[in-house]
Amino acid sequence: MSVVQNNSQISKWYIPGILGGLGTTMKHLLTNLLNRKKMMTLNYPEEKYEYSPRFKGNHVLTVKKDGSLRCTACMLCATNCPAECITIKAAESDDPSVEKFPINYEIDMLRCVFCGYCEEACPVDAIRLGPEWQTPGVNGANFIYDINHLAYRPNLKGGIQTHVDDEERHKAGI
Amino acid sequence: MLKCTINGKEVEVKPGTSIIEAMMQSGDRIAHYCWHPGLSVAGVCRLCMVEVEGNPRVQIACNTAVTEGMKINNTSEKVKDAVKWGLDFHLINHPLDCPICDQAGECGLQDQYMEYGKYDPEMAEPKQKKHKVVDLGPTVVLDSERCILCSRCVRFTEEVSKTNELGIFNRGDRSEIGCVDGVKLDNKYSLNTVDICPVGALTSKDFRFRQRVWYLKDSESICTGCSTGCNVKVYFNKEGMFRVKPVYNEQVNGHWMCDEGRDIYKFVNKEHRLLKAKVRGSAGWTEMAPGAAAKAVSEALKTAGESAALVLTAQYTVEEFEALVATFVNEIKSKKIFFWINNKESFEAFDGLLLRGDKNPNTKGLLKVLEKHGINTQWSDLTAGISSGSIKTVVVAGPENMAVFPDFDAKVAELSKAANLVWLQAGKSAALESLTGNVTLIPVKTFVEKDGTFINHAGLEQKFKKATTVVSEALTLTEAALLMSGKNLVIPGANEFVATNTRADQVALEARKKNEFVFKRGSL
Repeated sequence: MSVVQNNSQISKWYIPGILGGLGTTMKHLLTNLLNRKKMMTLNYPEEKYEYSPRFKGNHVLTVKKDGSLRCTACMLCATNCPAECITIKAAESDDPSVEKFPINYEIDMLRCVFCGYCEEACPVDAIRLGPEWQTPGVNGANFIYDINHLAYRPNLKGGIQTHVDDEERHKAGI
Repeated sequence: MLKCTINGKEVEVKPGTSIIEAMMQSGDRIAHYCWHPGLSVAGVCRLCMVEVEGNPRVQIACNTAVTEGMKINNTSEKVKDAVKWGLDFHLINHPLDCPICDQAGECGLQDQYMEYGKYDPEMAEPKQKKHKVVDLGPTVVLDSERCILCSRCVRFTEEVSKTNELGIFNRGDRSEIGCVDGVKLDNKYSLNTVDICPVGALTSKDFRFRQRVWYLKDSESICTGCSTGCNVKVYFNKEGMFRVKPVYNEQVNGHWMCDEGRDIYKFVNKEHRLLKAKVRGSAGWTEMAPGAAAKAVSEALKTAGESAALVLTAQYTVEEFEALVATFVNEIKSKKIFFWINNKESFEAFDGLLLRGDKNPNTKGLLKVLEKHGINTQWSDLTAGISSGSIKTVVVAGPENMAVFPDFDAKVAELSKAANLVWLQAGKSAALESLTGNVTLIPVKTFVEKDGTFINHAGLEQKFKKATTVVSEALTLTEAALLMSGKNLVIPGANEFVATNTRADQVALEARKKNEFVFKRGSL
């Protein structure tokens, strides 16, 4: 970076510049006072910004109609994850139509960079990045989310279902 | 010798060699499923197509013998097209369940599709439904939908294990692999069928769903399961070891290994290991660093002389035996060195293929070292010595694989009568930890954590290399021997980064950059 010093006579007339700057400040003060809807800032904890529905926030594991997880524990999300924050433990399911399912699915939210690659890698639409983004915690809070939190946290109201239905897919031969 | 030309290269082969063998010899890549070098030729997959000059049609390489002056080509468009359509037919009824298939990542279909396929499927009919998750026996699970009917497993049970459990049933697109009525796939070599299965139809119950294969690294090693000394590949990652697979060695094991040998990874993992040295004094057990514990033992051994005895199991490398025996003979001046034989009755047993009764990898090596130092002792001398009090300190290099030592608890009880017991062992054991009296337990490294040599039943010396580290603090017997004789370990760090300090088998960087795993896949 180079700094250019302007040592001409005109530059010594700084008072018009200062007044101009103060004028801008006054203009914003008055518009904000008179027309509060156009104000650029928010009173954060009370007022919240509405992001687009495509915002990539905290993860959600989707569920099937019967409420069980859609995830097949293929580990493609964990493979694709650049932050290596997903840990999955697979097991054999008792349900003959399922075969493989995760008995443990953990996301370390403090490592996650919210890139959305897990969502892209998932072949069965089992993981999504939801709109939720305010998840503060005090010291000792658990930021390693498990299945219980990812799929069944209270604000998901029993789990999110995907519009792609397995049975329909199988009928279509996919 | 016959001369032929493969893809423009002159190759010389023995008479009777098939084209596919010649291509393997010359290093040319060729698509194949049903052909396996250890099995008979079936010619059912129709994938190893080659063009032979003078023949208007492509033909299979596995069942065509090379003749003098034959000109073979498998890179032409005609051959590629034939392979592509062959693949399309194979995949008609193959389900798209790679995400939950254990074979994904080392699957023949995936490899061949990426190399020769890449078409849009033109099959509009629904796929044929077959049996999923069929329990074939205690070790293997079958998924018939994934099967491409290459018949490798059927031929294996017919020709190698000679147990004939498997067969192909039904006809046409309803054909399925299955067990003959009333029989389970239950033989000592059953897991080889999983290895040779080019798709994910046969999966091992032990490894099923435990890891995706691309998370595993591999390293070549020697099986410690018995005195055959099969060449194996161990698969591991930072969570531990996961499986063992055979590696081809004509002199030792051919292409196969037994099911028992596949369990040798289990005692290596951290949950079964002694992580710290444990010393039992008047106040119960105290934990120590292994090196410090071995150093403390040297105080007792310094003046012991003939009252110190050494018990060896044949589960360690020749180098380690040499170091420990030499320390005892030369430094401690005791020739009371005993060989703990685990199952003497079945030592000479052999099942005709690979399994031997001697469940130690290095019996010959231990005998050689003992002979070199002129040691000829009987076990009864040891028991007599302990009971008479002439042997006070007993150092035991305990078994690595405790499962093959049925007399383990009895021997622990017998040896614990000594005034001072030093037990070097990799695995945890309840029998050892319930001992009272002066006991020192020192963790040692297992076969995957060290370099060394095993001498197998036939006297063949096989060197193997370190694969990974599981318990970093554990000592090798060589290190323990140094420490127990009162010396310090030398850290070979001074010249570590000098370029001349490379290993004999150092891989060039260019080859290293490529994933080894990906490159060996072509040979299924």
